[in-house]
This record gives sequence, structure tokens and C-alpha cells, in this order.
Amino acid sequence: MAKSSVPTLLQGTLDLLILHSVSRGPLHGYAIAQTIHLLSDQVLKVEEGSLYPALYRLELDGCLSAAWGVSENNRKAKYYEITKRGRKLIAEQQETWERLSTAVDLVLAREPR
Amino acid sequence: MIYRTLLKMWRRRRLARDLETELAFHKEMAAAANNPIPFGNAAVIKEHAFDLWRFNAAENLWRDMVYSLRTLRQSPGFVLTALLSLGLGIGVNTAMFSLAVEFLLSDPSVRDAKTVVYVRQGGNSHVLPATLDDLRRSGLFADVAGENDEGFINFDNGLATQRAFATQATKNFFSVLDVPVRLGRGWTENDPDEVAVLSAHFWRTRLAGDPAILGKAIRLDGRAYTVLGVLPENYRSLVGYGFSPDILVPTYIEGSILRAYARLKPGMTVGQLNAGLPALTQRLLGDFPDRYEANQRLNAAPVSVMQQLTTERDAMTIGLFFVILLVVAGLILLVACTNVAGLLLARASVRRQEIATRLALGASRMRLLQQLLMESLLVSLAGAALGFVLALGAAKAMAAVSLPLPFPVRLHLETNWRIVSYAALLAVFSALSSGLMPALVSLKESLSKGMRRERKLRMRRVLVAAQIAVSFVVLTTAALFLQNLLRTNSMSAGFDVNHTIHAEAFLPPHAYPDGKTINPYIDRALDGLRAIPGIEAAAASATNPFNDARRYGVTLAFDGTGAKQKAQFNWNAVTPGFFHAMQIPLLRGRAFVARDNGGSKVVIVNDEFVRRYLGGREPLGAAFSWTTDKTPYRIVGVVKGTKCMTMGEDARPQLYEPMGQVNLDRPRIQFVARSVTPPAAQLKAVQETLRRAEPVAGLEVQTMFSAIGFAFLPSQVGAILMGSMGALGLLLVVMGLYGLLAYSVARRKREIGIRMAIGASSWHVSAIVVKEFGRMMLAGLAIGLAISLLVTRPLSLFLVPGLSSSDPASFVAAMLVLGLTAALALAGPLRRALKVAPMECLRCE
Repeated sequence: MAKSSVPTLLQGTLDLLILHSVSRGPLHGYAIAQTIHLLSDQVLKVEEGSLYPALYRLELDGCLSAAWGVSENNRKAKYYEITKRGRKLIAEQQETWERLSTAVDLVLAREPR
Repeated sequence: MIYRTLLKMWRRRRLARDLETELAFHKEMAAAANNPIPFGNAAVIKEHAFDLWRFNAAENLWRDMVYSLRTLRQSPGFVLTALLSLGLGIGVNTAMFSLAVEFLLSDPSVRDAKTVVYVRQGGNSHVLPATLDDLRRSGLFADVAGENDEGFINFDNGLATQRAFATQATKNFFSVLDVPVRLGRGWTENDPDEVAVLSAHFWRTRLAGDPAILGKAIRLDGRAYTVLGVLPENYRSLVGYGFSPDILVPTYIEGSILRAYARLKPGMTVGQLNAGLPALTQRLLGDFPDRYEANQRLNAAPVSVMQQLTTERDAMTIGLFFVILLVVAGLILLVACTNVAGLLLARASVRRQEIATRLALGASRMRLLQQLLMESLLVSLAGAALGFVLALGAAKAMAAVSLPLPFPVRLHLETNWRIVSYAALLAVFSALSSGLMPALVSLKESLSKGMRRERKLRMRRVLVAAQIAVSFVVLTTAALFLQNLLRTNSMSAGFDVNHTIHAEAFLPPHAYPDGKTINPYIDRALDGLRAIPGIEAAAASATNPFNDARRYGVTLAFDGTGAKQKAQFNWNAVTPGFFHAMQIPLLRGRAFVARDNGGSKVVIVNDEFVRRYLGGREPLGAAFSWTTDKTPYRIVGVVKGTKCMTMGEDARPQLYEPMGQVNLDRPRIQFVARSVTPPAAQLKAVQETLRRAEPVAGLEVQTMFSAIGFAFLPSQVGAILMGSMGALGLLLVVMGLYGLLAYSVARRKREIGIRMAIGASSWHVSAIVVKEFGRMMLAGLAIGLAISLLVTRPLSLFLVPGLSSSDPASFVAAMLVLGLTAALALAGPLRRALKVAPMECLRCE
């Protein structure tokens, strides 16, 4: 199926992507999914099944704070905003991610002996 | 953490609504943008989100409970046995705990008992009224009140005169101590002398609970007293230990000595007060040399029992008794828990399939453990509820028992938060101690099939040995107390209790204020008694052994040598015929004679007094002074000692004075009459004779044997409490051993069948089973013996002299009883195993 062309997210990277997308200002759930989709040149699709549990977990951990607001089409929507703790987590996870992706690149760039 | 969980629970509804709104919004946006993102399973999303909030844990708990209830319903036999075991175990613990709470943690009925102290002068329990005034004026206390609880008053209900126990108290008693009054009020300084406050029991039983009693007059000692108030039902007197007088009246006997109770100044502690008391003693000694002695220091003790436990020796002994009681009760609960553990172990092997299947299907071990524990928790909670009901019943029964005491004792066993939480705590404890081990074993064994059999058998052996060990400790304790009772009953009181009659006369105090009027009455009464046919001798005394005692703690100053000796002795005043009537052997010198009427003071002492205080001096003719007026008292005779308060007590020094030389300060006279015919038949004649001597006196006439029932009380109470616990422990152990043995024999059915098939005799097979069981039994007994030798050591405090806490007879008895019980428990399962037809057994596999 076409599914194989859609890369699945590595465990933990979703948190990083979510936090990154709200780093410029509060967004609602759908907007977060869209942002990730657009920023990845429409490669990554975040399903609700992973998105909402992740949002709730991040809220529970105190990396996000949530508040009800009114959306651009005048509907009630829950907006997620990044907290201090969330910003700290971005910094940490970004570093981890960079090391990981460099490592993966390195491995793939070299021929196995 | 708990707060967060609660918050989450509370927010659950809102969370679900929020999530729904959010998902709906998402769906709408996706649809509006004509977005191809597929919509997932909303229920799964919710489940995932909820998981984060730990709702599942709570839901699982609920599900486990329902499941456990369902499985338990399928095995009523198990539930019934377990409930009975735990119910009895928790019940006996709760009952003993409520008894201990009543005795140890209940403060007397005064406001703020922690700021009230009991002030004594030297070792004397009571002080002179003048001393009370000195204490009040000293400025060291906020205020001082006094009471005398040894009084009695003749209550005339219009038909007959009955004796009532009265506490005399000072006019400021209610204001200083703030004793609560249920109806009406306590008296104040402004009230007249003839007022009374009644106990709830007296009001209910003797006055039919008359609701309009306040302001009415009742006749006490021939005078009209106005009833001012009624005490609450749970009134606890300052004397403690359940002592409850019938009536409280202002001091009505002039010069009565009083127990002094002081209210501390705000902020002062008992320690600070005691630091200041020697100085006060010195000051008072300088001001009133006739009332104080240098070595009779004032000292203060707390009245709150909790505080007494740390300072007073008597209270500590009683506290220790209750600790032992609770430990033994705890051991019984342990036996009960072992029973349930054994049952659960047997159940676990039946459920092996189920557990293995659930593990294979991916249930986490924590979840299974939780589920297995839920079962034992439910059983324990139900057991605790049953036990609580049993304990309530037992407490009611205990409170209703009227103890053979010469004074009124009423226990107020209450159900309060302490007792409820104790029962709840026991339920959790028994759930864990009975459930945890079998649950862990069944989980482990389901994982590793190879170890299964070995492990389970070992566990069961440990259980059997543990049960035997624990019940051995309980049984030896019970045996020791029973042995103690036997010894007490066969012990001699030091005087003749089988051929004597005891009578007590309560004279109206205003008609008999002192010895001048009392002594002629005694002569009159004794002449009458001696004239009764069959009465061989009669005498009177101030106190009767066991019923009450007067103890003095003074300094003896010997004439001639000037030697001083601190002494404590039991005092009594007796008429000349006393030692003959009581059959107390005269060891040396002479008995009292009619001449001993105050001219020169004489005393008779007992052998223990001589041994302790005369230091090898010749007792006859030795003279010493011990009263504040420094009069010399000469010893004219030495008698053998008698017991004074309990049968088990050590020998105590005693001092007798002739009745003619003392001025009795309370008109309560003891008579003893020695009869050649059975004493029970003479009671009526004695009663009538004494009635003729003074018609208005309250009278109590009994055989000496029943009059001194109090003497046997401590050993009886000990034997009843410990004995019934021993019986209970035995019952539980039979139940548990039978279950465990029946199961382990049943497990070996196949092996037995094979052995018999290849020709083993039934003797041979039983030898195998008995040998295996014998090993467990021996191990259990050895452990039990070691523990018993250790834990029964503090019991020696409660046992009569000559009975050691490691009394071999008691230990052997416990061992025999336990062995016999175990043999009985083994017999049934063994017989069933031997009856097994080998073929049938092999076929069913």
C-alpha cells in the first residue's frame, strides 16, 4: 500500500514536532496537525489517534498549557500554548534528535564492512 | 499525588466532553478543507487519553471487585471458613482493644484532665482536710479540691434502708474540676450541706429514672438531701478503673481524710510542680510541725491514665497486662490469617489453569496480583465486619457481668473512632498477611511449571509449622493463667475462710461520730453474736482482709536506740477475740485483752513486719513511735501474716491495734463470727442480731468465703481472658490444620494409590504421612517453645509466687493439648487416604 511511502514517526519525535509548531504562538489541534503536514512539505501526516493523546500527555507533563478560545471560523476550539518547560524540552530534544539523525546519516553514508 | 488523582477523577466528565468537542472540531475542519486525512477510531483515542489520566486503574479495581465477588460466591465453603476464622480473630482483637482503651486511654470525667494532678503526702493516699486548705493557700496551684470515695450512705426509699456508695467531696469539687453533669448542676460554695448529685445508674435503678428528680429530696442517713443533678452515663471517677460511686455529696463526716486533686496553674507541667513541692513541704513543716513530717514529702501524679503509664508503677503493671493481652490476641489473629492463607493456597492450585491462561493472554503480573489480593481483601473486610459485631456483643456481655467486688465498678465500653479504625487496620493487615503469600506463590508457579510441586509443598509445610508455633505460644499463656487460678484457689488466705461469717455494719455517722459511741455499739453487737447458738467466737475489726485495706507509709522511731526505720504496712484495729475468731496463729507474746483500751499504747505485728523492720531486735517489748504525736507503741505479740488484697501478693508487713485504743474515724465496722455449724446456715441469725444492736445501720452479711471473692478476682479475670483466648486459638488451629492436612493428603492421593497398588501396607502408608507431619509438628513445637520461653517472661508479674513463667507443667500441658489436637486433625484425612482404592485413583488421572 501507499502507506509505505509515508514515513512513520519515531517514538518521541512527535512531541518535538508538536512543541515546535506551537513555539510561535498558540494553535488548536487541527492547526498543529496542518502545520506539521505543511512544514514537512506534506510528507508527514499526524493522525488524530496519535496527536490527541500526545497533546494530552504534554499538557499533563506541563509542557503545554491549554485554553478554550474561538477559532478563525468562529468555533469553540482548544488552543495549546507552549510553556517554559516545553521550551526547555525543545532544546533538549532537538539536540538529541540532531545527534540521532547525524548518526543515522553517518551509518547510511558508509559501506558496511 | 493523591490530590492529583482526585482532581483527575473529578475532572473525568469534563475531560470526556472536552475531547469530544475537540475531535468534532477537528473533523469539521478537515471536512471544510476537504482534507484527505482519514479519521481514526474515536473510542481508541479516548481510551488512550484516559489511560494517561489513570482512570483505568480505578476501573480495574472496580472490575476486580465484581469479579472477586462472583468467584467467591461460587465457593461458599471457603468463604464461610475464612469468614469465621477472620471474624473470630478480628473480633477477639477488637474486644480486647476496646477493653484496653477503656482502661488505659480513657481519662476521668473532668475538664482538661491533663491539667489535673493527684497530690499525695508521702505514700499516703489521703490527706487531712487541714492539709487541703494549706495546699489551697500555698499559691502553687490554681485550686485544690478533695474527695473521699470510700464512703457509704444509708439510702431510705421509704420501705427499706439500703447501702449506697457515696463519694464525699469538697464544696469546690465541681467548680475546680468541672465535672460534667447530665441533668441539673453540680453544687457550689453557696449551696447548703444537704445536697446530692446522683450517678446515672443509681438514678435509673433506685429512683426509676424519675425525670422530675431535680429539686426533690431523698433520705440519706436519715436526713433529707436535695438532688441537684445527675451525672452522665459514662461518668468516669477520678479513682479510675471503672469505680463508680452511687451518690456524690458534700463532705458529711467531719474531719474525713480526703484525696487531694489540684488544678495546675496555666502553663505549669507536672514536672515543674513536682520540682516546687519539696520547698512547699519545708515551708509547711515550719508553719505546722504537727501536721507534716520531713520525710513525707508532697508529690503530685497526673490523673490522666496515659500520663500515669509513664510514671506510676501500678499503672505500668496494668498497662503491661493489656499489652500481653493484645499480643496474645494478635497471635490468634495470626493463626486465623494462616488458616485463610492455607485455604487460599489450596484455591490457587485449583485456579492454576485460569491464571496460566490469563498470563498467556498478556495480563500483567501486577494486575493478577491485584486481582488475587482483592479477593483476600474482600474476605478480610467481611471478616472485620463480622468480628466487629462479635466484639460489640462481647463488650456488652463484659459490661453486664457484675464483678465480685466490694465496691461498684462499671465499665463503659464504647464504640468510638479508635475502635473502628483499629478493626479496619486489622482487616487490611489480615488481607495482606493471608493473601500476599499465596498470591505470589500462585503467580510464580504458573510461570515456571517445573518448580510447581516442590514450592507449593514447601509453602504448606511452613504454614503448618508456623501455625503450630503460634498456637503453642497462645496455649502456654492460657495454661499459665489457668495454672495460676488453680494455685490461687488452693492457696491459704492466712485465716479461716470456711467456718466464718463476715458482716459489715454501716452506722449513721452523726449518731456515731467517734469511738465513744462506736465502742459501746461493738460490745453490744458482739455480746449478741456470741449468744447465738453455734457461734463459738466473734470479733470486730476496722477493716477486713481483701475487702479494703489501710496502708500507712511512715517512719518508725524506736525507743531506746533512737533508730529510725522507714516502713510501709497494712493497718487494722481489732477486738480482743479477733485472732482466735479468724484462726490467725499467734506466734509469740499475747493477743489483745480488754485492758488494752488506750492507757499505754500496744500493738501486735506480723512476722513479716518483724523480719523487715526490727532488724534482728527482740520484738516483744520493743517500742516505737510512728504517729505525729510521737507516742510510743509497744509490741506485745507477733502473729502470722494474712493476705491483704490479693491471693497472689507477696507477704506484707501488718500492724494491729486494739479497737479500744483507737478512735475510729469512720463508722464502718467489720464483724467476724466463727461458727461450729455450717456458716451459711447462720447468716440469718447474725443479720437479726446485728439489726437488734442498731436498727438503722446498713448491713451486709455473707460467709467469709463469698465476702472475699475479690481476692480471687485478678487470677479469675486473667484465667477467663487468657483461657478463652486459648480455647479460641485452639479452635482456629483445628480448623486450619484440618484444612491444610486434608489438602496435602489429598494431593498425595495418587502417590498413595500407586504405593498401595505395588503392595505397601496401610501401616506403611500412614507411617509416611505421619512421619512427614511429625517433622512439621516438631519444627513448629521447637520454634513455639523458644518463642514462649521468651514472651512469657513478663507474665511472672501476674503469677502467684512459686509459679514460674516457664512452669514445666503448663508447657507440657500446652504441648499435649496441641499434639492431641493435631493428631485429631490428621486422623480424618489419613483415614480417607487409606480408603482410596488404588485402581480408582489411577483411573481418574
